[in-house]
Amino acid sequence: MLLKNIYNEFIKILAKPRSYIGIGALTLLICIILFAMKADGSSFISFVTSSFEQTLSFNGTILNGNLIAFIILQMLIVHIPLLVALVTGDLISGEAAMGTVRMLATKPISRTKIVISKFIAGAVYTFILTLWLIFLSLFVSKFIFGSGDLIVLNSEGLVILKEQDILWRYGLSFMVAFLSLLTVSSVSICFSAFAENSIGPIVSTMAVIILFTIIGSMEVSVFQNIKPFLFTTHMASWRSFFEDPVPYSKIFNSIIILVVHNVLLVSIAIIKFNKKDITS
Amino acid sequence: MSEEVIKVEKLAKNFGAFEAVRDVSFTVNKGDVFGFLGPNGAGKSTTIRCLLSLIRLNAGTIQMFGKSYATHRYEILSKIGSIIEKPDFYNYLSAQKNLEIFARISGATVSTKEIHEMLEFVGLGGRGKDKTKGFSHGMKQRLGIAQTLLHKPELIILDEPTTGLDPQGIIEIRNLILRLKNEQNKTILLSSHQLSEIELIANRMVIITKGKSLVEGNVQELLNAQELTVRLELSDVNKAIPLIQQHFANVEITRINEVEISLSIEKKQVSHLNKMLGENNILVYALEPKRKLEDFFMKIVQS
Amino acid sequence: MKKLLFLSLFFIQVTSFSQEANQLLERVVAKITSVKDYSVDASIKTDIPFIKILPVKAKIYFKQKDKFKIVSTGIVILPKQGFTDVNTFLSKTNSYMAVDGGSKMIGELKTSLITVIPTSENSEFVLAKLWIDPKNAVIISSQITTRSSGTVNVDYFYTSELAFGLPSELIFEIDIKKFKMPKSVAADINNDKPKDKSKKKNENKKGIITIKLSNYIINKGINDAIFEKK
Repeated sequence: MLLKNIYNEFIKILAKPRSYIGIGALTLLICIILFAMKADGSSFISFVTSSFEQTLSFNGTILNGNLIAFIILQMLIVHIPLLVALVTGDLISGEAAMGTVRMLATKPISRTKIVISKFIAGAVYTFILTLWLIFLSLFVSKFIFGSGDLIVLNSEGLVILKEQDILWRYGLSFMVAFLSLLTVSSVSICFSAFAENSIGPIVSTMAVIILFTIIGSMEVSVFQNIKPFLFTTHMASWRSFFEDPVPYSKIFNSIIILVVHNVLLVSIAIIKFNKKDITS
Repeated sequence: MSEEVIKVEKLAKNFGAFEAVRDVSFTVNKGDVFGFLGPNGAGKSTTIRCLLSLIRLNAGTIQMFGKSYATHRYEILSKIGSIIEKPDFYNYLSAQKNLEIFARISGATVSTKEIHEMLEFVGLGGRGKDKTKGFSHGMKQRLGIAQTLLHKPELIILDEPTTGLDPQGIIEIRNLILRLKNEQNKTILLSSHQLSEIELIANRMVIITKGKSLVEGNVQELLNAQELTVRLELSDVNKAIPLIQQHFANVEITRINEVEISLSIEKKQVSHLNKMLGENNILVYALEPKRKLEDFFMKIVQS
Repeated sequence: MKKLLFLSLFFIQVTSFSQEANQLLERVVAKITSVKDYSVDASIKTDIPFIKILPVKAKIYFKQKDKFKIVSTGIVILPKQGFTDVNTFLSKTNSYMAVDGGSKMIGELKTSLITVIPTSENSEFVLAKLWIDPKNAVIISSQITTRSSGTVNVDYFYTSELAFGLPSELIFEIDIKKFKMPKSVAADINNDKPKDKSKKKNENKKGIITIKLSNYIINKGINDAIFEKK
């Protein structure tokens, strides 16, 4: 019954126009970035390398598909969660708003399985969005800009990674990025279990992300203790795969935190939905 | 003794401080068309939602097919088809897709052919590919019934299924219910404001008001036990009225026209009435008892 | 009279010292200019704070007077003031003045220090100190100060191409005090490492770039097309 309802949920996601808003918006955003980089990417590179260029000269194909993919991922950190929440925030509350939740809840399927099937369907949608992101950012970029070494700027300086050493990093980083987006999906599904309309969970999810991100970026002693436990602190852990050496323990820690968040949030959604009186 | 399909005992449900249901008890037997009656706000929809495990009880017990939801939820719900208030569908999906979605999780295997046949059955043949967004209320009601019957349930719960339908639609629903009862021996719990419909098709009923069940039983027995409203067509109304008032105490007589009156008397007194009029040379051209559920309902509720 | 004699002797000595410095430098320049073109395989290792990069292999092309091209599959970091810039500068003999600075032992080799001072106020080079092997007329070490790049120290090592004055290894020591991270790009909002608030972290830090050169192909002709920007 679970598999059947996952299939049902996926049919519903595919049929909703809003599902394609996310994919369309992502495509448009990335195309704009690709166009901008093609038009004037060298200025962007100069911005990154300017403080070194007094003493050093950078030779080689710096502006390549690998770098563009990295830039795209960096730029879309805030945007993609919104596109995910747009669909997953509607999964439970949308049914309440439409009235179909009572039709669903009178079928011989447990409410737990209803929530789990929605979570899985939402996860599949998030995965498709991530795959599309990979395709556009990495493969289309490489097609347009070619391949080459990747120059990454983080707070500790420049890391230049060999071309042969990049693909596996992207593979793993996209997996962690998917986990980050899945956490966003779980947040929105959790809110969706409490709401009777779609807008509330979507806006609440974005508000939580923005609030937690601000808390995480403030160097205030009060927040230092909670910062490691905020999921937003770990959402950018995909970047760690582009450090040298790769801090695997730090990444593993982030993965654990994100997985715990997912389990907790879905559990809350299940408990709430099970206890809820369906009066709509 | 008939098998009990639904057994509700001392059901209570609060929404915060508001007592939606205080003390509702009734039993629905296999094969019944069970009328579930009550004025607006009596607690009918709340009770029905409790029957379908949509809301939690605060007190009392519900047994469906002799089993409880706590232990046999899947088994119970796979035997029930229901429409609660107005049927809602995924308006971005077609009628056929909607039925497929609900059929898939109904606990039975339903083929595409069966879905098409069901759409024909409810009068939506050829509309399977249309999105439900463009459906009228009546069409959605029909689709709701299709969704209810698709997995061949044993128990059908209909909460005001004729609301918003035209007279033809009401008749069609009535005939459908009768067919389901007579041909397929379905058990049907029917909540409706159309008392005339209930009177025509229900064999048993319960009346609730203010969250409490007042009367339960066989419809005809309940109605027969009460006073009848009788319409008489007489040769001499002017002579008949005082005679009736003289022989039957506290009878309220309504003069309909020059030759007709109506009055309420106990069933057992109808023959005495006829005899008395004959003995006084008043010809009785017509004597027509009217068992009005509406009157009965209002009497029960107002008392 | 004595003063006049003393001054004259001093002037003659200074002049003779300058003449010796110029002659040595001319020998160095002659060697440099004898190389019309070359290509060489390079292995570049960068050891600079704030930059992590694995050793890179590249092919370097040079053609008189100042055509330079580096070809690599990856990103290569070179000193801004490349090792051909000094040679190009020295080959313009009218643009500077050479002053003898004495001698210094570098390892077991006694080198002559020549200070090269540009005569033009607009020259990119501010000052060049060259420690030269007088016997082979090759630069062993240099300290070059330019307007844009600051001061760079370079050590030269020679093997098979000593005759042409082409090194087999160069070690650049670069001043990194001016390095700063662009904040808006490098803002790692999820970085949980405590920020080092020490202002002294950049001070006294040097960067090292080591370039090993092998398989020189000298004066065989190089097509100008190689030097065109793609």
